[in-house]
Amino acid sequence: MPSFFKKKSSSYNKKTGQEKKKEYSSSPLSAVLEENIEYIKTQTGNSTDIVIRSFKHSPRFNTKSAIVYLKGLTDSQTVQELLIEPLMKSNPAESDPISMEDMIEGYLPLGNMEQIKDWNALFPALMSGHTIIFVDGYSVAISSATEGGEKRAVEEPRTQRAIRGSKEGFTESIETNISLVRRIIQNPSLWTETMTIGRVTKTKVTIMYLKGIARDDIIEELRKRLEKIDIDGVLESGFLEQYIEDQSISAFPTLYHSERPDAVAGNLLEGRFALFVNGTPFVLLGPVVFVQFFQSIEDYTERFYISTALRFLRVLVFFISLIGPATYIAATTFHQEMIPTQLLIAIAAQRESVPFPSFVEALIMEVTFEILREAGIRMPEAIGSAISIVGALVIGQAAVQAGVVSPAMVIIVAITAISSFATPSFSIAISARLLRFLFMISAATFGFFGMILGFIILVVHLCSLRSFGVPYMSPLAPFIPADLNDTFVRGPLWADRKRPAFISGSNNVRQSESTGRPQPEQSSEMVTDQEGDQQ
Amino acid sequence: MEKAKITAYQLFALVLLFELGSALLVALGIEAKQDAWIVILLGMIGGLLIFFVCYRLYCFYPDCLPTEYLQKIMGKGLGKSASFLYMLYFVYLAARVLRDFGAMLLTFAYIETPLFIANTLMILVIVYSVSKGIEVLARTGELFLVFIYFLAGSGVLLVLFSGVVDLHNLQPVLENGWKPIIKSTVKETIYFPFGELIVFTMIIPYLRDSKKVRNVSIIGIIVSGISLMLVMVFNISILGVKLTERSQFPLLTTIQTIQVADFLERLDVYFMIALIVGGFFKVALFIYAAVIGTANIFTVTPPSRLCYPIGLVVLLLSMTMASNFPEHLKEGISIVPFLLHLPFQIIFPVLLLGMAYLKNRKHKKQGTG
Repeated sequence: MPSFFKKKSSSYNKKTGQEKKKEYSSSPLSAVLEENIEYIKTQTGNSTDIVIRSFKHSPRFNTKSAIVYLKGLTDSQTVQELLIEPLMKSNPAESDPISMEDMIEGYLPLGNMEQIKDWNALFPALMSGHTIIFVDGYSVAISSATEGGEKRAVEEPRTQRAIRGSKEGFTESIETNISLVRRIIQNPSLWTETMTIGRVTKTKVTIMYLKGIARDDIIEELRKRLEKIDIDGVLESGFLEQYIEDQSISAFPTLYHSERPDAVAGNLLEGRFALFVNGTPFVLLGPVVFVQFFQSIEDYTERFYISTALRFLRVLVFFISLIGPATYIAATTFHQEMIPTQLLIAIAAQRESVPFPSFVEALIMEVTFEILREAGIRMPEAIGSAISIVGALVIGQAAVQAGVVSPAMVIIVAITAISSFATPSFSIAISARLLRFLFMISAATFGFFGMILGFIILVVHLCSLRSFGVPYMSPLAPFIPADLNDTFVRGPLWADRKRPAFISGSNNVRQSESTGRPQPEQSSEMVTDQEGDQQ
Repeated sequence: MEKAKITAYQLFALVLLFELGSALLVALGIEAKQDAWIVILLGMIGGLLIFFVCYRLYCFYPDCLPTEYLQKIMGKGLGKSASFLYMLYFVYLAARVLRDFGAMLLTFAYIETPLFIANTLMILVIVYSVSKGIEVLARTGELFLVFIYFLAGSGVLLVLFSGVVDLHNLQPVLENGWKPIIKSTVKETIYFPFGELIVFTMIIPYLRDSKKVRNVSIIGIIVSGISLMLVMVFNISILGVKLTERSQFPLLTTIQTIQVADFLERLDVYFMIALIVGGFFKVALFIYAAVIGTANIFTVTPPSRLCYPIGLVVLLLSMTMASNFPEHLKEGISIVPFLLHLPFQIIFPVLLLGMAYLKNRKHKKQGTG
């Protein structure tokens, strides 16, 4: 039964909260060094990539110490030069027994250090690449941030290329990704909150937003939804997406993902939040609206007439990829009278040799194309050309000559395929790809009547969606005239004085009044030299 | 009552789509021959009067549905039964429109499809949408309003380019005096489509800004009246009175006259979109009113539980209400206006307004004294 009222978020799962607490009950470190080392060894099953280096801390006092770290996750040079060397060579005053505080304050030239007293805090630190220092006689360990190891460098984004715009793309490292955005928005009110999600994977997840611009209730809602998640692993931001969506049973995405730091920065400036997940270059953005999936970063850098025209083109392209084949089926099966006579004769002549009804014909071609596309995605590049050759044969001249499909159908399928590639956002393009088949079925059974009904259901469904409480179709429905400047049309930037009202709260003025339309005097028409006139 | 709010523009869109719904497709007020457009304008004025009665009632009880204030005015038992009668009326009207719509669809495009199938598909879509609530319905309305007017605009341009408009067909004005015009107004247009606005008494309490109810509704009614008038003017000036009278769907015939550059012709799909979208909103609003009202009378929560049962009732009623289309039309022209429309749209609301006025005056006196 579909819901009539907006369901308020269901009661908090108290049980999981309690379980979480239990897991983090304290189990303090021992004061004996050997016991601690032994405990680590048993807990990690003597894993071979754990390095345990014992040494005498100070020759004079015979204090035993050990450092523990994971090979590959730490920067070995840092560990060597900034931890082991100073500790071994340190020469404290003769009588003073060395204390932990001294060690942190006096000897170790590393930035991020903290004391750990509990195993439950120690293991996550160790596993994330920290180096742990034990000193015999202390039930406290020092954890120092020495994360390092192999990382992919910042490269041009693979999925969202822009003709004009930054060439930087996110990488798999969450720290790099956050810094890429910080480099664009250099402002202290860019706030981040980090939490770990995933019982087993302990994945780092960071919320980023602009304090004062993003709506506090949305951030609070996001926090609540994230805290509720209790799963074993988070491997990609898509995992989280499915847990924090408003409407999980829908073909349409209610969160946006981007690989571009500049896109993320732009969205943060409009009052959205960004959700970084360690291990993926895709950053989630929300709340999103439908029109956003038709926008691209270079829309804002090009002339606004051109961007507007391009956005219209993208909407057209979306509709073609959604109802292109369905329209052909409906027109040839039910409404032949609507096709101009000349064209009808041409189509009829072509279809004479085809043994299938146009629905079956379209289905064969569409499915073939989907197979080709699916095959093409994961093929090694060397085989790619082979696929394109075979593909061109299968859904091209050969199929027509074999009498399986009509030439008109080949054109329809080709246009549809190209259209679905031309949609800027992949996640909305695949929604259209799936719904296309439903439209084809409705067109085959009830012609335009079925298609229009399908279209009504689609619009009703889109209107019923929300993304973090923001209606999905805004600012078109509910209609917000002030925000039309950046929808399917794009007005000039100087006319875009306010942030979208449906996302940002009260603080929504983006540019000062005086910034208005640039009108230098020299450029207005019919410039006259006023002094000259007077004379 | 749902915990939902709609904006002024959304109400405007719903009023407009509701009015255009099925009235766009038939020859409205053709009894007055070439003066049909005057009949529509007069009907619009009648509709405004009916709306004012409803609006005064709304002003007395701005926060509750008619089903609630009927009980406040007439007492619990009587109020509940009167509200229930209204719900039956809405269900009946929904079924009527559905039948109209299904029959039209079959006559012009799907001759061999059974009526039951067409109606079932339509009602499924409607019930799904209604179950999403008024907010979603209103947002859908906003989008489709733009869509419909875009189609209308392009349609008008194409008709003009086709060069078939002959305004002489509208002359002479008032050939037979005012009598047939008044007669046609009182017999038809005042109830259909304008009097049917009575269903909006169930919708206006949802408006976020209650001060705007009056202006928005008035503008909506006037714009819809003018749109209908323009459509009729186009129909008559293109087809002539005779053809408009005889044609089953004048708008379809008008659209079929479009012929631009030997390529843009037979744009029947325009008509089909107008038919389906209009029918959808009209039936959906009736069913929504029936659902929310019935839920209110019998305190059913959530109201969406009633969508499918009431949808089923509407579907079956639409099949059984007449044994064939001529019978259905006859009922619609000679029985329904006087037996149903007149009491439910005019007599009851006026009486209610009188009672509400007396009751509230008494309250006021008690309050001040």
